[in-house]
Amino acid sequence: MDKLYSLTAAQMKDLLDRKEVTSVEITKSVIDRIEKTDGEIQAYTSYNFDQALQQAAAADEKRAKGETVSELAGIPVAVKDNMCTKNLRTTAGSKMLGNFVPPYNATVVEKLIADGAVIIGKTTMDEFAMGSSGENSAFQVARNPWDTTRVPGGSSSGSAATVAASQVPLALGSDTGGSIRQPACLTGIVGMKPTYGAVSRYGLIAYGSSLDQIGPMARTVDDAAMLFKAICGKDKMDATSKDYTYTPYGDSVKGMKLGLPKEYFGEGISAEVKERIYQAVEVLKAQGAEIVEVSLPSTDYALSAYYIIACAEASSNLGRYDGVKYGFTGSDRSSLENLYVSSRSEGFGEEVQRRILLGTYVLSSGFYDAYYKKAKVLQKVIAKEFDDALKLCDAIITPLNPTTAFKIGEKSNDPVAMWAGDICTVTLNIAGLPGINVPCGFDSNNMPIGFQVLGRKFSESTLLTIAKCYENTVGGFAVKEF
Amino acid sequence: MEIDIMRLAKLAKLSIPEEKVEEFRKKMEDIIQMVEKLPDLDTQGSLVDPTNTMELRKDEVQPSFPRDEMLQNAPYTAAGCILIPKVVD
Repeated sequence: MDKLYSLTAAQMKDLLDRKEVTSVEITKSVIDRIEKTDGEIQAYTSYNFDQALQQAAAADEKRAKGETVSELAGIPVAVKDNMCTKNLRTTAGSKMLGNFVPPYNATVVEKLIADGAVIIGKTTMDEFAMGSSGENSAFQVARNPWDTTRVPGGSSSGSAATVAASQVPLALGSDTGGSIRQPACLTGIVGMKPTYGAVSRYGLIAYGSSLDQIGPMARTVDDAAMLFKAICGKDKMDATSKDYTYTPYGDSVKGMKLGLPKEYFGEGISAEVKERIYQAVEVLKAQGAEIVEVSLPSTDYALSAYYIIACAEASSNLGRYDGVKYGFTGSDRSSLENLYVSSRSEGFGEEVQRRILLGTYVLSSGFYDAYYKKAKVLQKVIAKEFDDALKLCDAIITPLNPTTAFKIGEKSNDPVAMWAGDICTVTLNIAGLPGINVPCGFDSNNMPIGFQVLGRKFSESTLLTIAKCYENTVGGFAVKEF
Repeated sequence: MEIDIMRLAKLAKLSIPEEKVEEFRKKMEDIIQMVEKLPDLDTQGSLVDPTNTMELRKDEVQPSFPRDEMLQNAPYTAAGCILIPKVVD
């Protein structure tokens, strides 16, 4: 069977269950596909092909023996390079961790391996997940398969690119301010940021610990749900993780109330994006959803709150990189102080240094109350506004990104313009809520557009239901022939 | 607003090359101008969220990582220890 690599995870599972193909055949097809296309897409910073073939063979053996296997058994999954993989280089897209080989697996990776999934490689990303384009990787810039002169979004750039280019059906991303949803949007795939606490963060290289969350990326809603189901739940290694009962989702929005917040449809959102999203809303309305207007008045301030909180946490989290215990070590060992300074200055890229400096600034004496504390109070206000709005509806629909994918280099020298693009996504992380990107057509350059469905805490099944209803109604999402 | 970028760099244990100082400062000022957009809010009171009670694990002795595995990623080691520049005379 040719083009096994292009199947969805659900299709792969069916063929495996019916013993029409083996996982080794699927994995070889995926490896071959990556070898042929990754020179252009640049989605991976490390391949795990040898071990992947062993994992595939092990899954095949279990199936052949008639043992009960998990849904993901024998299915290839790509993992963002900020999740620790035992004995497999994990760089977080940084020179600082360029040679770092973790002695343990992140809980999500451990769960995938226990399920018999095939870990195909580690995906390219913005350094320490700081970026919205993938251009901040210390190693390479992943490409958007729809137009390889454009960015795939970020920071989970490689995870989005590899799924959109049909190199692999599933990938894990992480989302601190939109890093799963925005690249999913820009590459026309499904990406879900779960509720804070739904998925363990143990072994995820920290950026903003109170905002970070791991989630699934896939070409269909069913596939995204399959991956989410495998990774969610409480973990004793992450005190912020919660007991999570995965509930199956439906495909009907009949009788559901969907909120449209006017603050998300303002001037900054491109006309083409708005038009497509209003059309998508009409599709859901025709399927029986009731549309209600809601208001989230503090949306304008969300970017400030996000960047203050995220960078404050980052400046603390990244304090551990000192050139002593692991990671890059600097050239100046003339004193301990000089070792710290040279390790950090030579090991971190500019954007990371910028965010550390901002975090240091907002936490520094004399500024703490004006910035950090105010942002934390604002966080509560924003969360309360979401709570109130979500009392009037079952879920909220917004644009996911103000524009479609931009050209590589277009914004890379203007951090403020780059940061401003995150306006539709950061609010969720601040409020700890789940959100999903649903592809909904293309702009005049044939670049994908997506809408965001967000909901109450732990309402992932509602979000998946709405996404699934839309997917079914429009006859599935377009896949790029690449 | 003028940012003392050198002081911030010192606090963050970073050194910014001289030819980059101006660029860093300019970008930092733009960024601070952006994040300064905050409403008037009462910042008195505690930031602790009373509804989010975190459960602590039991303090029990558990197996840890073997020393040699932990040292594999350390840049400089000797005799099972991590080497750093001399800190006392």
